Amino acid sequence: MMLPEFELINSGDKSAALSLLAGPDRIKVIAGGTDLLVRMRRGETWGRLLDVSGVPEIRTIEADASGIVIGGAVNHGEVSAHSKVLEAAPALACACSRVGSPQIRNMGTVGGNLVNASPAADTLPPLLIHRARVKLESVRGIREVNLEDFIVSPYQTSIRADELLCGVYLEPLKGYRMGYRRVAKRAAWAISRLSAAWAVREEKGVFLDVRLAIGSCTPMPFRAHAAEEFLAGREGSAAVIAEAVNMVIEGITFISGERPSYIYKLPVLRGMLENILRG
Amino acid sequence: MFIGKDMPRIDSLDKVLGRPVFAGDMIMEGMLHATILRSTRPHARILRINTAAALRLAGVVKIITVRDVPGENLFGIIKKDQPCLADGRVYHIGQPILIVVAETERTARQAVSLIAIDYDEITPVLAPSSSPDTAPPIHGESGNLLCLRTLIKGDAERALADSDVVVSNTYRTTWVDHAFLETEAGIGYVDGSGRIVIASSTQNIHYKRREVSRLLAIPEESVQMIQTTTGGGFGGKLDMTVEGYLALAVYHTRRPVLMRFSREESFLSNTKRHPLYIDYTTGARKDGSLTGVKVNIVGDTGAFISYGEVVCLRAAVHATGPYEVPHVHVESRMFYTNNPVSGAMRGFGIPQLAFAHESQMDQIAMRLGMDLLDIRVKNALRKGSLTATSQLLEHSVGLVETIRKVEPHWRAREKESDSRGFGLGCMYYGCGNTGASNPSGCHIRLTGDGRIALHLGACEIGQGSDTVLMQIMLETLGVGEKEVQLVRGDTDTSRDAGSSSASRHTYITGRAVYEASAKTRSYLEESGYYHGRSLRDVCDEASARETAVFEGFFDPPTTPVDPLTCQGVPYATYAFATHMTEVDVDRVTGECRIVKVHAAHDVGKVVNPTLAKGQVYGGVAMGIGFAVMEAFEPGKTESFDGYYIPTSMDMPDIEVYFVEDEEPTGPFGAKGVGEPALIPQAAAIVNAITDATGARPFELPVHVERLKKLIGL
Amino acid sequence: MKTVHFVLNGQPAEVEVEDNEVLLHTLRARLSIKSVKEGCSIGECGVCTVLIDDAPCYSCLTLTAKVAGHDVKTVECLAEGDSLHPLQEAFIRAGAVQCGFCTPGMLLSAYSLLKRCPNPSREEIREAISGNLCRCTGYVQIVEAVHDAAGV
Repeated sequence: MMLPEFELINSGDKSAALSLLAGPDRIKVIAGGTDLLVRMRRGETWGRLLDVSGVPEIRTIEADASGIVIGGAVNHGEVSAHSKVLEAAPALACACSRVGSPQIRNMGTVGGNLVNASPAADTLPPLLIHRARVKLESVRGIREVNLEDFIVSPYQTSIRADELLCGVYLEPLKGYRMGYRRVAKRAAWAISRLSAAWAVREEKGVFLDVRLAIGSCTPMPFRAHAAEEFLAGREGSAAVIAEAVNMVIEGITFISGERPSYIYKLPVLRGMLENILRG
Repeated sequence: MFIGKDMPRIDSLDKVLGRPVFAGDMIMEGMLHATILRSTRPHARILRINTAAALRLAGVVKIITVRDVPGENLFGIIKKDQPCLADGRVYHIGQPILIVVAETERTARQAVSLIAIDYDEITPVLAPSSSPDTAPPIHGESGNLLCLRTLIKGDAERALADSDVVVSNTYRTTWVDHAFLETEAGIGYVDGSGRIVIASSTQNIHYKRREVSRLLAIPEESVQMIQTTTGGGFGGKLDMTVEGYLALAVYHTRRPVLMRFSREESFLSNTKRHPLYIDYTTGARKDGSLTGVKVNIVGDTGAFISYGEVVCLRAAVHATGPYEVPHVHVESRMFYTNNPVSGAMRGFGIPQLAFAHESQMDQIAMRLGMDLLDIRVKNALRKGSLTATSQLLEHSVGLVETIRKVEPHWRAREKESDSRGFGLGCMYYGCGNTGASNPSGCHIRLTGDGRIALHLGACEIGQGSDTVLMQIMLETLGVGEKEVQLVRGDTDTSRDAGSSSASRHTYITGRAVYEASAKTRSYLEESGYYHGRSLRDVCDEASARETAVFEGFFDPPTTPVDPLTCQGVPYATYAFATHMTEVDVDRVTGECRIVKVHAAHDVGKVVNPTLAKGQVYGGVAMGIGFAVMEAFEPGKTESFDGYYIPTSMDMPDIEVYFVEDEEPTGPFGAKGVGEPALIPQAAAIVNAITDATGARPFELPVHVERLKKLIGL
Repeated sequence: MKTVHFVLNGQPAEVEVEDNEVLLHTLRARLSIKSVKEGCSIGECGVCTVLIDDAPCYSCLTLTAKVAGHDVKTVECLAEGDSLHPLQEAFIRAGAVQCGFCTPGMLLSAYSLLKRCPNPSREEIREAISGNLCRCTGYVQIVEAVHDAAGV
């Protein structure tokens, strides 16, 4: 239950951090520490930790017409309160406002949440509907990866040992009905059992663009592409909605098979999605 | 006027300043740290313990096993069956095997991880059962039945056969953890005169002093037990937690030793609320009057007795709920298993029974087309009623008044939407131990510096006993707060006031305080204090004459209940309550939000309204946890990330109403509220969920998934 | 070992810590601030709450080295000499204290709220303390106390 011994290195600015990551010895990035330190109390060991929480270049949220870039070391509280996020990505603002507790939101970072890659991470579904791309930097250069491809299995991403998740880019949306809904075992400070993020643009009862992402259901984040394509241009009738929801469910079971938790999750998801699509 | 006054808690100031020293905050010169190595198996023989690597670790001072116990290794609050340290065999995961004492906590824990235990596993018994095939005897030869209590009043079988309506169901509950925020901790040392002193977070001190004396085979006078500021108990700090281990560590090292449990250790080692399986049959006439109740209770008491027999009996006695039932048959059994030890937890089995009896009441009423409140009024215990033990209730029976307090809200209830539901839960609860002598002693001393000191052995665990008992003294003496002081929680300076349990301190210790205060008052009267003589003078004179101490004592008048029928007078007084709860159930997800609670309690006399309300609010919170969230899973639950208790956002608006149907034997008419605050809440939630969804839960907790499955997937 | 300079309750503080040391341990063991409690060590109970730059954080998950150059507050900073902070007075009046173990952390979360939001609604108060568990009070009187103190 006690933390193992390790060396803690404060990284200074971004280039200093990248140099350290490129060094020969194994080193683990720590930002807020809210996931990593708990894992280390429970047995995970790292000899060297690199504290990036103060790296100025990754502590900002930049926004312009083409996109929003959230620095890797921005904490959930900051994301949930930022005016540009609230305006153009309210589902993400909502999700970040529900991560953990107020204290966790003051400490935990978006970068940390993404690299931890828990299937239940709240930031994932909203980022997916905004076509998020993670920006990975190393001494070798910059690499951008679609968030959907970034997470390769539960708790594992394709980040390389010498890379730092400097930021996540997301496409701002306007004119959509957007939101994030999570189901948990108590009203606050609880792991999400099931969640959905949505952005729906419709006109006169016809779906123009629908984006749906489901969390805590599949090992990796799930964006319901097939259902989204199906809905585009279709009228929001009960039959269409039911068909789209079936496609989401099928997509999930295709990936994961029949899990015991699905006895509960899939019917609930069905109901949630129907409500979301009906508006 | 101190009774009914919102006197601020006497410890609030220190607490808001962060000043109180809890056991884990203590430091002493040369202090060592002790940690327990616990069994990782539910049932096994211990073949070999290899401590070589641990002993080589720098900083390890001593490893203590059962062979190092000088006195009695077995302890227990009722019967002495529980090994302090395992003696060749372990019976549950988490059972203490040995103690490592080291210079630092880190070293002690490291040493524990270096000790290798060879186990020879025995198939564990994981469910309560009397069948020798599925459940070979864990202790001794004669099966796993710890105890059977039968309550027989009249002829329930016949009454049920003659009823117009009969409802029969099985209800289930599971393990629940106390989850006090301060984990178990204590410090022990040898004082200047060679006595062993243990200061710990605890709900009782005189009992634990006796246990330590037995464990070390030294006279009680050689042991001093002190209560440190205690961060919550709820029944989980009644059994020996750190005290015995500290005593052994101090005995063997002669140095101060600190022990504190991590949260994981607390979850692992702490006794739990008994899982109960309750088969309940209720019969009634067309007019709603109950004819007979037949209940079969099976409890999982875990590996050792702890409070198992107490819960067994209390459950039997209270099984009918707060209603007059002419024919009752209850069989209540506790079985040993290799599961965690179940023990005392707020309500001692009655929150579980209330879930059952209140669900039954609703179902009977629904079958008869009767209003859910009316059926409770119709059957409610009143003055002149006979309880299930045939006790005639003559005083302080405020149940109907509590129902009337919520009645206007019940009649006016309106569903804002069809996801809403309303439910009622009533309860009664005997204050004090069941049909057993349960005294409290205390004394008042006129001090050398001119003050009146109240000496209490009653442990303040957050519930407010210090303040309430002080108010009783102040009221009786007619003096001001500046004239008094409190000396509390030290076996050297107090009489045995029993445990902080069974909602007994306001009633029993309060009465003892009243008695001591009355004697003090007479003395002050004779000494001229009320006619202008200074307290200083009176105290000086009393010291000189050695007349400065006034004893108080109270043992509620009860009779032991009949061993075969449980008939008798098990309690001198009962608390009564009604909770009305509104819920909002999301049918899509199964999430249940508690929206509003009206809680009405007959407490006899409200000594301190703010404190009494605080108990009710806290009880409602615990009831919400019990109803919809909390389930300890042996082998799985590690810490708070796997065991959710309510947060501030889970709480509803709560209105509290007090009824004062004075208890003649209580101090100024007061009885108890600590456990009653919790008891009816889960029951009311379950009934509200049924109202909202049409689906009735029969198993707790009704968490998100269970509720969704109940509603329909 | 590293030397960490920070501001503690308004005063400059300097302490030598291990790399793997958390602020909870530093405050309790090196600086003798025992008002900060340990309840679970994994950021799931809230009794270790401190304010870092006036934001509530779990000191059990904060490596001490990280607070270098930052402002740390514990409950000791609320009272001024003999005068209690309005929150502390309100807690006493409202019955918001029972066993007292969650109280220091609870006060800090409330203090931080009132700094950001001088007139919070009850819902905002509940949210602000939703990362501090209490097993005794049911939170009702705590929320009332904070609401009361805000009015002062």
